[in-house]
Amino acid sequence: MAKSQILAIDAGGTMTDTFIIDERGEFVVGKAQTTPDDEHIGLINSSKDALAQWNTSIEGEFPNLLAGVYSGTAMLNRLVSRVGRRVGLVLNKGTEDSHRMGRAIQSHLGYSYADRIHINTHHFDPPLVPRKWTVGVTERVDLFGNVVIPLYEDDIKPAIQKLLDEDVEAIVISLLHSYKYPHHERRVRDVAEEMIKKANKDIKVFATVDYYPVRKESHRTNTTIVEAYAAEPSRKTLEKIDDALRNNGTKFDLRIMASHGGTISIKANELARTCVSGPIGGMVGAKYLAEKLGLKNVACSDIGGTSFDIGLITQGDLAIDTSPDMARLVLSLPLVSMDTTGAGTGSFVRIDPNYRNLTLGPDSAGSRVGVCNPKSGIETVTVSDCHVVLGLINPDNFIGGAIKLSKERAYEAVKTQIADPLGMSVEDAAYGVTELLESQLRNYLESMILGKGYSPSQYVCFSYGGGGPLHTAGYTKGLGFEDVLIPAWAAGFSAFGCGAADFEYRYDKTLDINVTEKAEKSAILEAGNELQAAWDELKKKVSEEFEKNEYSPEDVHFRLLYRMQYQGQLNDLEIEAPIKQFQDVDDYQVLVEAFEEAYTRVYAKSALSPELGYSITGAIVSGTVDVAKPKIPVEPLSSETPPGEAFLGHRKIYWDGEFIEAKIYEMEKLLPGNKIKAFSILESTATTLVVPIGFEAYLNENRIFHLKELK
Amino acid sequence: MAKYDQKLIGELIDGTLEFYQLKEMMSGHKDPERFEIYREVLQERVPWDDPILLPYGLHLYIVQKKNGDRIVKCDCGHEFCHYKENWKLHARIFVRDTEEKMNEIYPKLMSPDTEWQVIREFYCPSCASQLEVEAVPPWYPILLDFEPDIDTFYHDWVKLPLPKGK
Repeated sequence: MAKSQILAIDAGGTMTDTFIIDERGEFVVGKAQTTPDDEHIGLINSSKDALAQWNTSIEGEFPNLLAGVYSGTAMLNRLVSRVGRRVGLVLNKGTEDSHRMGRAIQSHLGYSYADRIHINTHHFDPPLVPRKWTVGVTERVDLFGNVVIPLYEDDIKPAIQKLLDEDVEAIVISLLHSYKYPHHERRVRDVAEEMIKKANKDIKVFATVDYYPVRKESHRTNTTIVEAYAAEPSRKTLEKIDDALRNNGTKFDLRIMASHGGTISIKANELARTCVSGPIGGMVGAKYLAEKLGLKNVACSDIGGTSFDIGLITQGDLAIDTSPDMARLVLSLPLVSMDTTGAGTGSFVRIDPNYRNLTLGPDSAGSRVGVCNPKSGIETVTVSDCHVVLGLINPDNFIGGAIKLSKERAYEAVKTQIADPLGMSVEDAAYGVTELLESQLRNYLESMILGKGYSPSQYVCFSYGGGGPLHTAGYTKGLGFEDVLIPAWAAGFSAFGCGAADFEYRYDKTLDINVTEKAEKSAILEAGNELQAAWDELKKKVSEEFEKNEYSPEDVHFRLLYRMQYQGQLNDLEIEAPIKQFQDVDDYQVLVEAFEEAYTRVYAKSALSPELGYSITGAIVSGTVDVAKPKIPVEPLSSETPPGEAFLGHRKIYWDGEFIEAKIYEMEKLLPGNKIKAFSILESTATTLVVPIGFEAYLNENRIFHLKELK
Repeated sequence: MAKYDQKLIGELIDGTLEFYQLKEMMSGHKDPERFEIYREVLQERVPWDDPILLPYGLHLYIVQKKNGDRIVKCDCGHEFCHYKENWKLHARIFVRDTEEKMNEIYPKLMSPDTEWQVIREFYCPSCASQLEVEAVPPWYPILLDFEPDIDTFYHDWVKLPLPKGK
């Protein structure tokens, strides 16, 4: 009997996946439809679905769990639908409009290429803080931290009083260059807190410097507002989920996935970083798996119902984007860097009435699948409809048969909308759609890797997501990846990643330290001490967060990182410091060497430009504590021939101009060592792996399929 | 292909659609029936029976008269001229050609210099709706904005019969 250890939850826009891992590293993936209004319902349903596959129940297994990690849309939904608190905002007098101007770019964030240049589609969302709750105080600090206009004390009280009169529920203070000179912001904060105390109100004050002391005022202000606007209400949502779990017998403290790829407590001070939804769990899982398998460079690809997401792990590290956008807001959060394109298995397929060519997406049927789902109400053909027409997916075994798909409906829709207008057979039209999708994904994957200065041959490709394995062969064909791996648990890989994530807090601070190539010893020491002071400040914040979960600083494993660049550059590199503490000039040399080593790796040795001198632009501290993690299965190898019980029979499919009898296997019943030849379809409840002509699949001892292109 | 009904197109004309509805219309492929529905909605809203051939502006239409003439007509019923002629030559015109007149509609210093640019406002002689505004150099000829090929549009593009009167 299984004894569950870890519960990982990925409450996406479409499905809530749960991933439950037992003490031997065996796992089970549960799926249920997401219930965005009360996420814990979908979560419990999904857990039931998972545990039913082990013939056990929530009551039996939940008390055994050692850890649980949640990632989902709770926070993001709150932001997108603008149901947050009434936040008041204090800015520099004269710049009160800057927040609602959205830096112009917020009128077209998250848009497809076509919409970005289609100017009338550009649109500003309502500001998080309306103008009437924004006030200004007179002060000005320049970029070096010099006070140009001293804080005009007489401005503070009337400004705060106005917000109190407007009955705001939180106050955010964001002054220019406060990350460099925090005293003005803190003075305003202290006055505000005094006044709130006197007025006997329950209003929390957020100075950006206490939360996100980083450059770029739009990003920093937004992020701190998100903290005030959505974090507290989200905390309640998360507490509800935690309660629902505890009521069902769990004893662990629920953690949440954060944008930097680590997990944090639901009690964390800074919750804005949990407004990440979606695929970074997969990246974290891929990183964990890559470490276990000893792979340094991995290209991760995830096809879901709505999008195709790719990210690179290079030399074992995830790339971090420090000023990303989410929910159409520019933010100052460290986000695991990923690229996404709006083409998934639910993408709508249409014929452009002007040019008569096929177009995919960018909109998608998401959880409603397509016309083949009679209950969906969808009328436009999706990629999934084409899969059904071709016979690639089993209409009776979609999500284990939870949704019955109609092949007749799919056939009729492809015929009238695609095949007849193009004068093609229905099968050829459907096949053409999958080929178009695969070639788009292939180009996208290749251009991203080439664009970063690498070649696919340096990478192993991981393919996961519910729709990934259907197209893996198609989108990796001819790219020359070192290897192509498909974990057998592809459908729940994001959730697996949450389970594999470190319990990690990460804090960033902007610095402006410039050192010339041949600097004096005193200048180097001054620079190093400033960096160390920033590290100390951030370490304190990390320790404080862990203390809330009763971890003492001795339990915490700290990593010190810094961002460095050549002077005058606009982009920097994030590097882990090889030192524990800055002490003398030698330590500085170590930092410079680590930077140049990374620079050589990312760009080229000939790109090094030490004559420009160096800038340290940021300090970062990450702290982790040990938590239970999933084990990667190791099973004895069996023969090359798949066992008879895995074989489910034949199905007629259409492939490249002809009907073929494909061999159908049940994925779970295949044994390590099995070789599966084309044309085969490996079915599981939530995913389907296609081994087309010209390919061969091999299941290794870790329950990972290697998809090999036969030369 | 998108399909919209009279209610939705009516709201499009009124400017009362939610942004997400507009965005869908803009980002998706155009509905081939748009013109027909649009024309019907406009026809229901005007107080006269002459069939609208083509909307010409926010208040102007090219309509079909019983005698076969195609006339530019204001929604108040005022008839300007044959559609091949420039209706502006039959409208009332107000020209802002002094600083004082400019500063009625712009703050000082934000208005054009009338030596360089004048503003010409065209009004319906019956209902005084502002129908068009030109911003041109002072000596500039009155512009003929639009010379539609109505027959080709109906026959070859939207493939509809020309609307007939009741």
